[in-house]
Amino acid sequence: MSEALDALIVMAYRQLKRFRRGRARVVSSIVNPIIWIVFFGLGWSNVFNFPMARMIFGGLDYLSFLTPGVVAMSVFTASFIGGITVIWDKQFGFLKEVLVAPAPRWATILGRIIGDSVIAVIQGLIILGLSFLVAHSLNPWGVPVSILYMLILSLAFTGVGVSLALRITSMEAFQMIISFLMLPLVFLSGAFYPLKYMPDWMKIIAYVNPLTYTVDGIRYWLTGVSSFNPYLDLAVLSGLAAIALVVAAKLFSRATLD
Amino acid sequence: MDADQDRFAIVVEGLVKRYGRIVAVDGVSFRVGYGEVFGFLGPNGAGKTTTIHVLATLLRPDGGRVLVAGRDVVRDPVGVRRSIGVVFQDPSLDSELTGYENLYLHGRIYGLRGGLLKERIEEMLRFVELWEHRDRLVKYYSGGMRRRLEIARALLHGPRILFLDEPTLGLDPQTRAHIWDYIRKLRREMGVTVFLTTHYMEEAEALCDRIAIIDHGEIIAEGSPEELKHMAGNDIVYLKIRGAKPGICGFFEDLAIECRELPGGRVALKVEDAVKALPRILLRARDRGLDVLEASYHRPSLNDVFLLLTGREIREEGPMDMIKAVVMSRRWRR
Repeated sequence: MSEALDALIVMAYRQLKRFRRGRARVVSSIVNPIIWIVFFGLGWSNVFNFPMARMIFGGLDYLSFLTPGVVAMSVFTASFIGGITVIWDKQFGFLKEVLVAPAPRWATILGRIIGDSVIAVIQGLIILGLSFLVAHSLNPWGVPVSILYMLILSLAFTGVGVSLALRITSMEAFQMIISFLMLPLVFLSGAFYPLKYMPDWMKIIAYVNPLTYTVDGIRYWLTGVSSFNPYLDLAVLSGLAAIALVVAAKLFSRATLD
Repeated sequence: MDADQDRFAIVVEGLVKRYGRIVAVDGVSFRVGYGEVFGFLGPNGAGKTTTIHVLATLLRPDGGRVLVAGRDVVRDPVGVRRSIGVVFQDPSLDSELTGYENLYLHGRIYGLRGGLLKERIEEMLRFVELWEHRDRLVKYYSGGMRRRLEIARALLHGPRILFLDEPTLGLDPQTRAHIWDYIRKLRREMGVTVFLTTHYMEEAEALCDRIAIIDHGEIIAEGSPEELKHMAGNDIVYLKIRGAKPGICGFFEDLAIECRELPGGRVALKVEDAVKALPRILLRARDRGLDVLEASYHRPSLNDVFLLLTGREIREEGPMDMIKAVVMSRRWRR
């Protein structure tokens, strides 16, 4: 068991080490959410600057409504892409080094997932810190609980990313997933506009989109506004994370070079 | 059979591996004793890498039985993984980490830790002469340095059996000679059993106690380099003698299997082992007052053996290989 734990810890350590070195990746992953907050958020917040506007966003100013969503989005993006980068390990051969090791496979992949998740949460926290500068109705006391939601979210989506990466064989497929899966999931999560004004068919997608529950949960703890019960959000997220981690571990345990 | 498990590092019986309808390995059987350096020699696409991947538990065999360090690769892959170190043909280092970090990571995954791990890392980095470069990122290493680091990494956890898949592919001759030295040294100093694949004949000859020649997924010959070369015929000693007269062969009758007089005062002697026969032949010539101007010998090469068995040559640095070498070296550098 201590062998498994060692493998787990050192694989997480590897991800963090790589993250610290890869400055370009850090910068680009933070710049993107900042662009959303500044150019999208500040722009619309002036449009929604009339007395009735707050009614649309559950009594919040637009930036306070938007920023929890962008935080969730940045954690989601970072973890999903982090998981999918297993495909680079496949490409550059490092995966073989892990596969040929006697350490339990579930431990090595879980270590990697945890490492990537911690990185995703760190990125989310940076965005959250910046959010406090522009949004005025955020509650600092909600931050610790939000971190919990962010962590579970990132475990779930790193797991999903890893599983996908073990299945896909080409870089083209990787690009497809990015453009056909990630962006729609972000738009249909209620991060940018309230769920209740969506057309019904979009609502259906939003309800099965796990990101919706993260955005909702984090928004609740930071602003008090939500569409669902925050504990339901937590339950949905935890369920997804559990399934994703088990699937990733199973797939990785059976992985061969075939 | 059970006794074999203890005596042999590797036992392979009737191994079959298919990719779809293509049969990559077709009923291969061989054994490797502990402490031996055993080589798979064959052209590209002969099934060498596939075999190594099956032995290293990364591919599931479609038929046959494979025991590595006495453990079945299908039923006890973790047991096998504990006893082996692998240097893959394609790079498998983390190039965003330093050389030291790569070994540290490997050690921890294999359950080493603390002072012991530090000692082992230093020992192995010094062994491959990379200790001075330990804190450089691997992406700035040359192709030869990466190969050495991979060898150090594969040995870090003290495996009993080391797999090397084309250990010098794409390296320049000087670096290749360097890698050969390490392989000889690790066998001598650590007593590690080595299974290697190569398509370079000189490499197989320079390093291996025994060689299996593989082609189209089948072993077509097996033996020590000497035994294999004997398959292609005997050694021939050539002498040039001043003022050689007809009947000169009579002097050497008992030393050669066959003797032939050639024009220009030259004599060709077919012998069992030229290296041993040559001094005796020269001594005899001096005793009989013959003035030997030149002496040389020809030994059949492994290429002659391959040619004899398949009618083709193991392609050596042909145009395609050159292209591959260039591509490989680019990949290494990335």
